[in-house]
Amino acid sequence: MDWDKLVQLLVNGVTLGSVYALVALGFSMVYGILKLLNLAHGDVLMVGAFVGWGVLGWLGGAQDPTVAVWLVILLMILAAMVGGGFLGVAIERFAYRPLRRAPRIAPLISALGVSFFLQNSVLLLFGANFRSYDSFDLVDVGVGVEWGPLHVWVMRIVVIVSALAMMGGLWLLVTRSKLGKAMRATAFDREAAAMMGIDVDRVIVKTFFIGSALAGAAGVLVGLVFFQINHFMGFNYGLKGFTAAVVGGIGSIPGAMVGGLFIGLAEAFSVGYIEDLTRGRLGSAFSDLVAFLILVIFMLVRPQGIFGKPEVKKV
Amino acid sequence: MRKGLIAAGLAALVAVAVVTAAVAKPAAQTTPAQIAACTNVSLGFLGPLTGPAGFLGQEQLSWLRFGVQKYNKANGTAFKVVLGDTQLKAPVARTLARRFVADSNLMAVIGGSESQAVVVSGNLFEKADLASISGSATQTNLTNGQFKTFFRVVPNDAIQGPQIVTYVAKNLKAKNVVVIDSQDDYSLPLASAITRGLRARNVTVSRESVSADDTDFSSVVANVDSNVNVVVFATQVATAANTLSNQLREQGKKAIVFGTDGAYSPSQFKPRTGYVSVFAPDPHFDPSARALIREYNRYSKNKEFGAFGPATYMAGLVATTAVRSACADGEATRAEVTRLTRRTNIPSIFGGRLRFSAKGDPLPTKFVIYRITNGKYAPVG
Repeated sequence: MDWDKLVQLLVNGVTLGSVYALVALGFSMVYGILKLLNLAHGDVLMVGAFVGWGVLGWLGGAQDPTVAVWLVILLMILAAMVGGGFLGVAIERFAYRPLRRAPRIAPLISALGVSFFLQNSVLLLFGANFRSYDSFDLVDVGVGVEWGPLHVWVMRIVVIVSALAMMGGLWLLVTRSKLGKAMRATAFDREAAAMMGIDVDRVIVKTFFIGSALAGAAGVLVGLVFFQINHFMGFNYGLKGFTAAVVGGIGSIPGAMVGGLFIGLAEAFSVGYIEDLTRGRLGSAFSDLVAFLILVIFMLVRPQGIFGKPEVKKV
Repeated sequence: MRKGLIAAGLAALVAVAVVTAAVAKPAAQTTPAQIAACTNVSLGFLGPLTGPAGFLGQEQLSWLRFGVQKYNKANGTAFKVVLGDTQLKAPVARTLARRFVADSNLMAVIGGSESQAVVVSGNLFEKADLASISGSATQTNLTNGQFKTFFRVVPNDAIQGPQIVTYVAKNLKAKNVVVIDSQDDYSLPLASAITRGLRARNVTVSRESVSADDTDFSSVVANVDSNVNVVVFATQVATAANTLSNQLREQGKKAIVFGTDGAYSPSQFKPRTGYVSVFAPDPHFDPSARALIREYNRYSKNKEFGAFGPATYMAGLVATTAVRSACADGEATRAEVTRLTRRTNIPSIFGGRLRFSAKGDPLPTKFVIYRITNGKYAPVG
């Protein structure tokens, strides 16, 4: 057993999974409250990545930042969160709210439209060229944690810790705050919550803001650790984030976190071991096959996901 | 009543489909022989303007437009460029090819830029007798006679593969190599040819595969053993090659990345140490091309370019020259343009004259290999 490879894949999987988890949280929160699949959520991540890239350029770029590196990263994440949050609110206000009483397919189509709109807007603004965060210039590759022959770059640690901190913060918000209580009540029964004096519209707006802010932050984390960003990157992360939300149990916040990590680890380990396990018949190209096979098996064995509850039809 | 309505609706749909097919058929049949008034001739551009290889298509389009404008000014012609963005997706390329075939003013196609676009459009263009001239599609099979109206101004992978093999085995003296493909018509045959060639020279080779859309290769890098000297990456996405190189460094692997021609981009593939092969010399390294570069820089806002743009400029020059010759009597047919394209014999910006073999390959050419040190390119072979 090559333990170095195993640990390396574990680090890679947790990094990827942290990003998926942040995206999955947004999917889950919106679905929990509105029973809506916000298919434009991945594109909010993409916009967040571009906001972070803009802030990086504004602060002098990766090679010659005008402020301390930790402050650059913090400002990039904060700006992307604010940008992503307000974008989410705008999407809710203009694309979903008018369709709240429409058949379920209508907001789904609207979400697809928003997704294309965002992709093409960024294409028009920034062009088709991929943009790079040049993170190696920001933080040298040598800076990190050494463990035997294994080297973990500090940026990966930043990504994992930031994602875990945001997930922890969200967990506290949902379980301990008044807003969290209102969110849970709205998710449980929107009409009853309104009758209890909860401003449901306000709760929905705040939910969109928080979910989209997390996606914006995830966009910056992707750029920091995987370097390249582009106008269609949101589709892939959105798809994986959605898969993670479904595996964890859509509507469940801990489920989104666990589902994200699960999909990230499955993807990393399948790339690392699929060839050995299939005696060379399948190569690393089939890692997505493994990830989505897991989704299919989960749907067959446990349709409600890891933390989801089976839907009870009231008669 | 409801069943009757559905039946009536279906019948109406069938009727519309039949009428549409009847109307469309004669137009498709007459396309090859269509004559365009030479005052209203257009050239189609078939390449990825968006998507992962958008950088490549944008550079090509910019040089094509520059070339056509320059040609129009010098020769009093009024050729226009019609865009077809393949997004690096074969089905999109096929749809665009159909649209080009149906456009009676369109006399030649510049592209497809990527081999998979040529694979899906080649037979459509052949049926329409429409010449397509690529400035970057290098898959060997494209000129094996299957697409009789396809030409390219760049050498094919039958030249690139062995050149990379020789350089990696002989010059870099690599003993352990990983070859990565990106699961498309361009990279799979090229990666396989390189793998076979290296194994024939007793180099230990292992294969990996990634998707063209991937942005994270850290788990693939985990599979690269510490004794691997070179990772050959057959990709059409320069930033992917850059990320792979960064992630090798991140995980402390000593292997360097050798990118194939799709990775050639001095602005996007900037490893600390690496290599890249490309089908045509980058004019930046050619003193005789300075005047052309100055002229291009005056024309375009985008000053960043490598070898893709100038090669497509040449493809455009082939097309405009052929169409102008065909228009000598005031009108041109696609068949005439194709015939004249086959007889091309014009000065090349890469030196010498550009001519085509009977199968549509340029005569004679070779790939150029660049060594990259701290992001700076220098030709080495």
